[in-house]
Amino acid sequence: MTSTDHTQTSGLGFVGQSVKRVEDDRLLRGHGSYVADVTPEGVLHAHFVRSTVAHANIARIDVAAARRAPGVVKVITGAEMKELTNPFPPFMMLPNMYTPLYWALSDDKVRLVGDPVAIIVAESRYLAEDAAQLVEIDYEPLTPVASISDAFNSSKDQLWEKADGNVLFDNTDTFGDIDSVFADADRIVTERFSCQRQSNQPMETRGTVVEVDPESQHLTITNATQSSHALRWIIAALTGKQSTATSLKSFVTNKERRTNLLAGLKAFVDEHSEDLAKADNAGAVSQFKKDKSFPLHLNRISANLAGKTDYPTVVAQDIGGGFGAKGSIAREDIAVAVAAIELGRSVKWIEDRVENLIDGGQAREEDLTVSIALDNDGTFRGLKVDLIMDQGAYPGFPIGAAFITQVMKVMYPGSYKWDAFQVTTKVVCTNKGKYIAYRGPWANETWVRERIIDIAARALRMSPTDLRLKNMIGEADMPTEMITGPTLDVTMSTRKCLERLVYEMDVPAFEAKRAAAAEEGRVLGLGFACFHEAAPGPPNYMDAINPGSGAASDEKARTVVQADGSVKIYTPQMPHGQSHETTYAQIAADELGVNIDDIELIWGNTDKTNFSAIGTGGSRGGPIGGGSVKYGTRELRKLIAAKAADMLEASVDDIEITGGNIHVAGVPSRGLSFAEVAQAKVGESAPGATEAFEATVNYRGKGDGGWSCAAHACVVEVDLDTGLVSIPRYVVVEDCGPIINPAIVDGQVRGGVAQGIGAVLYEGLSYDADANIQTTTYMDYLVPTAMEIPEIDIVHLETLSPGENDFRGVGEGGMIGAPAALTNAIEDALASRGARVTKQYLPPTTILEMAGVIDPDPNSDR
Amino acid sequence: MSNTTQVGETASLACTINGAAFAVEVDPRRTLSDVIREDAGLTGTHLGCEHGVCGACTILVDGEPARSCLMLGVQANGHDITTIEGLANGDELHPIQQAMHESHGFQCAFCSPGFLMSTVALLAENPSPTRAEIREELSGNICRCTGYESIIKGVETAVELLAGNEPEQTGQTGQTGQTGQESAQ
Amino acid sequence: MKNPPFVYHQAHSLSEAIELLATYGEDGKVLAGGQSLLPTMALRLGPPEHVIDISAVPDLDTIGLDADGGVSLGALVRHAEAERSDDVRRLAPLISEAMPHVGHRAIRTRGTVVGSIAHADPAAEMPAVCLATGATMIAASSQGERTIPAAEFFDGYLTTALRPDELLTHVKFPAWSAQSGGAVVEVSRRHGDYALAGLACRVDLSGDAVTDAALAFFGVDSTPVRVPEAEAALVGKPPTAEAFAEAASIVSTTLTPTADIHGSTNYRRHLAGVLTTRGLKTAASRIGVSA
Ligand SMILES: Cc1cc2nc3c(=O)[nH]c(=O)nc-3n(C[C@H](O)[C@H](O)[C@H](O)COP(=O)(O)OP(=O)(O)OC[C@H]3O[C@@H](n4cnc5c(N)ncnc54)[C@H](O)[C@@H]3O)c2cc1C
Ligand code: FES
Ligand code: FES
Repeated sequence: MTSTDHTQTSGLGFVGQSVKRVEDDRLLRGHGSYVADVTPEGVLHAHFVRSTVAHANIARIDVAAARRAPGVVKVITGAEMKELTNPFPPFMMLPNMYTPLYWALSDDKVRLVGDPVAIIVAESRYLAEDAAQLVEIDYEPLTPVASISDAFNSSKDQLWEKADGNVLFDNTDTFGDIDSVFADADRIVTERFSCQRQSNQPMETRGTVVEVDPESQHLTITNATQSSHALRWIIAALTGKQSTATSLKSFVTNKERRTNLLAGLKAFVDEHSEDLAKADNAGAVSQFKKDKSFPLHLNRISANLAGKTDYPTVVAQDIGGGFGAKGSIAREDIAVAVAAIELGRSVKWIEDRVENLIDGGQAREEDLTVSIALDNDGTFRGLKVDLIMDQGAYPGFPIGAAFITQVMKVMYPGSYKWDAFQVTTKVVCTNKGKYIAYRGPWANETWVRERIIDIAARALRMSPTDLRLKNMIGEADMPTEMITGPTLDVTMSTRKCLERLVYEMDVPAFEAKRAAAAEEGRVLGLGFACFHEAAPGPPNYMDAINPGSGAASDEKARTVVQADGSVKIYTPQMPHGQSHETTYAQIAADELGVNIDDIELIWGNTDKTNFSAIGTGGSRGGPIGGGSVKYGTRELRKLIAAKAADMLEASVDDIEITGGNIHVAGVPSRGLSFAEVAQAKVGESAPGATEAFEATVNYRGKGDGGWSCAAHACVVEVDLDTGLVSIPRYVVVEDCGPIINPAIVDGQVRGGVAQGIGAVLYEGLSYDADANIQTTTYMDYLVPTAMEIPEIDIVHLETLSPGENDFRGVGEGGMIGAPAALTNAIEDALASRGARVTKQYLPPTTILEMAGVIDPDPNSDR
Repeated sequence: MSNTTQVGETASLACTINGAAFAVEVDPRRTLSDVIREDAGLTGTHLGCEHGVCGACTILVDGEPARSCLMLGVQANGHDITTIEGLANGDELHPIQQAMHESHGFQCAFCSPGFLMSTVALLAENPSPTRAEIREELSGNICRCTGYESIIKGVETAVELLAGNEPEQTGQTGQTGQTGQESAQ
Repeated sequence: MKNPPFVYHQAHSLSEAIELLATYGEDGKVLAGGQSLLPTMALRLGPPEHVIDISAVPDLDTIGLDADGGVSLGALVRHAEAERSDDVRRLAPLISEAMPHVGHRAIRTRGTVVGSIAHADPAAEMPAVCLATGATMIAASSQGERTIPAAEFFDGYLTTALRPDELLTHVKFPAWSAQSGGAVVEVSRRHGDYALAGLACRVDLSGDAVTDAALAFFGVDSTPVRVPEAEAALVGKPPTAEAFAEAASIVSTTLTPTADIHGSTNYRRHLAGVLTTRGLKTAASRIGVSA
């Protein structure tokens, strides 16, 4: 049996085929290199001392015994860390928002159970954990803020002194004449929904290994990151703090550095001038009103960056999943880097699962009150949403509440027509883990919209799919715009997805089944949900979220033919399960006329790859990363063909490349190999050149579309004895345009749906009334297994827009659609018992309470 | 005589790992998973939770599956350990590895060592399990990426390969590459 | 999440193990399969100073056939061995029924049946099986051997009648009568999790009337519990759906399970009733009665 088999040859086109994964051979043998596998000679091990109380002032912290403990090399407390670092700055500043500044470790106050207050570095992790038990901390308790309602209770202590209470943002956006639409509509249906706190839970926790070059002190950081470049620059900005004067002096006196930095900055500004011109400073003004120290820190951070002569290199190889969690830059990433800098020695930290559940990334906890105004014939008129998001104790960085509320704002209206829309957004802080992006971070816009539509359909006695289709934007309406701004073209094909799904589900047949099951005392339900998502969305999408933010959305792959004829592609993407090595090889092989095995993908090393603010996330790997590979290799091919045309004395238009053979059309026998053409090219360059051809294309998507769409439906069976829900059928009709690799798309969709099922039936982070987290192990935070996840059928539509098409992202949709379809199905099953689903989390107790089988416990708030 | 190892002392461990003798002095509190990863340098065994639930650290002890995070290194004394690195025969992948490749079994593959070792144990005991049996036997392993379908398919493909049959075409949704077309699974 | 330091003792004989427990039992713990001890140690939840590894003690890994027709499981019999054993299936079928519910295969290959009983997790299957079958604990210490009936063994949450210097060497399950039907039923959030509520039950029939019944619940209190009122209600009646429903309703009104994040008091109480009907029905079917 061969190990890997890519014997398919080019010509047929690799794109569109389920090419077997290139990364498998390494990974299936256990030869992958994940961050925990990296152990430099003499590395030290870090462990964090974490708060055991949710909200308190620190009266005293004594680390003397820990410093003396066996094997301990260094202990840094929060107060010491503050002297050594800059705070995390606000990332996206919105008008009326205050974003607290915070440091890698907490010094005078703790804001959640698990808040890191000191880092211990020792010869082994075992010894570091031993020493942590010797640290003495005196806490002066503050009132815990354990819930959204606590956050609005002014008798509770404030987490952040400079805020007004524990509400950090309160803002209303209105589109259309909302008041008259609501006054005019035949009826208004209102419901309040709440979604529990969930966690990304990649199987690999976070981790970082910081190596220090003994000579130059240069840092090389191996990190489980989705965004290597962002990590690099933030570590550079926040560590090695110096006074602004020192920084400026160093900047002024180091000419080479200054020139490079300014040139880099200028290039970025030039490339993004249009975007940057749209940005305003209203958010910064709000921030300044609350926190006068913020410009000072910003200056220090910029000066610190400018004054440095060396920046870290971030490297990463294999990453064990992320789902958004590893797009965040962790406080621990900074603290470990500082420890390594201070010691001049390599330091490693691998988060354990308990730490990961406590503060490795949490998401989705939101209360949403939704009103839909509609006419009696089912015509949608207006939509109002009142969102309260619980961001936890510390703002997610860079992506946190600020960004996610704004994506939600744009996406609530979904694929439907509205006369008016209004959203009020509040963000509160509580003594909980950090709210960050989790696969389809805005997904609750879909959940509440698709829920309220079902509730409205029941009120109108209409079929929920008829009601959807009646109001859904279709091809005949295009091009058009969402009421919140973004342009919709034919790639917004939700209508086609839903029509196909209605056919697949055969509702009359289901109703017959339901009736037959009812005879046996079994309870079935059917639920639908649909949505479109920006993947990457049209050019005006980012502006609708926040003007100017499009500046972060482009990407550059560098594509190279080496002197020996081999092809290398350097991508700033950070694959962590998405199979980039395979899909990018498919794209490049088709463009270049070579085989899959001829392509080598290089990622994860910030010295070798171009800057990208985002890395892998936001369903961008296919469209933007893939696009830059596609158009980069297309340019590369032109260079190769031109040289070959010279050598073959033919017109460049007649050059064909198949299976790596570069020849004149019709005469493949007289072809040249990549090596021959590359050698000839290198011969013309300066001696020692290693690269024959090189092309780099900056890409940010094409055309006005870029939407991925899907409709989900499932059949559920609810056991009224036990409250257990099973899912005998789950169907997704999805449309991500031209598919690169169907098996990989299927995997993305199924994995997302599995997380959505987890969200509804199994996964809830739980805090008690004192904000102590209850779910700190995998015995309590329940990630579903093969016994819980059903088979999921997938139908692919591949809608194309006119002209050349981008690939469209598909990483997030599964998770966006599933909670809505599943909760709709459960309500459908229990509707005859008067049940209404207003919570996303439906453990067996809640199911039986809704069904009227049991009463809630007295004094229970669950 | 009982052996007592004081805090800070080491005890002897001698076992075989993937057929080769392995001996080391270890602090008895160190888990077998740490010994395998750090002392034996076999980092293919992964740690997802270190408290017995995720299954990523699953290895074979005398042919039976066990959580290496829930054993002390010293408890492996005299036993025969197999890890993921022990599956392939040189260049040739083990049929279960090959089957997972054919079926696009994994994504990030962090969970894969546990699934592969559990599958080896399952198929040794039950060479032709039903889908329900596969689900049940693999329910001690968590995968966050795949939704399990591709892994289950991989086990079914492995059954075929081990029986000497050519696996069925496993491209999961068929070939939907033609743009503008639609296809159902 | 790494184990704290401890003094590690490996016993090579029963007498050594007992000696070690006499000296260190107060600050020590027996290490059997480690599937409960090691996770709690990794979490550094009240770690012991001494760990006494009994895995090299000979003769504790036997499944013994007792003269009275019962079966005895030694302290090192793994869940997987008990699960596979035909003797256990024949002589103590409730153990075989319970095994597939205990975690997952890779847990069962290491964890021991006796360890599970000594650990006394209120949501674990085996302690309830001991109650339902009337098992006897055999504990050894430097002061000799003593036997403890299951009914007197489970004292509270994770605590038993074992003294710190005692080793639970065997658990003896009495002969299983041909007139007895039994079942272990449970509901858990995910497959393999500890139960939200579970029941190990036994009904003895003579003619067409129940002569004895045992309903031992797990996951509903700080120890496994029997519900004598419901058991009494079954005795003397034919094994019918009505009789089972009556028992179920007594169970639901008698138990007051504690709520946790996985299930409310009312939920668990309701579930205990459902399990009563389901369990009794299955138990009866095992002796050819369909209710
Ligand atoms: C993921 C997971 C899921 C699980 N699910 C379940 C489940 O569903 N149901 C269930 O019942 N269990 C479950 N368990 C626990 C498992 O069954 C344990 O194996 C069992 O509870 C203890 O047996 P052990 O031999 O591993 O004991 P150990 O972990 O070695 O010991 C447990 C405790 O008992 C004491 N002890 C052990 N043996 C003796 C003895 N002979 N004399 C005196 N004291 C002794 C120890 O000192 C220790 O305090 C699960 C475990 C895991 C990791
Ligand atoms: S690491 Fe051992 S089971 Fe998770
Ligand atoms: S493939 Fe990522 S966890 Fe399984």
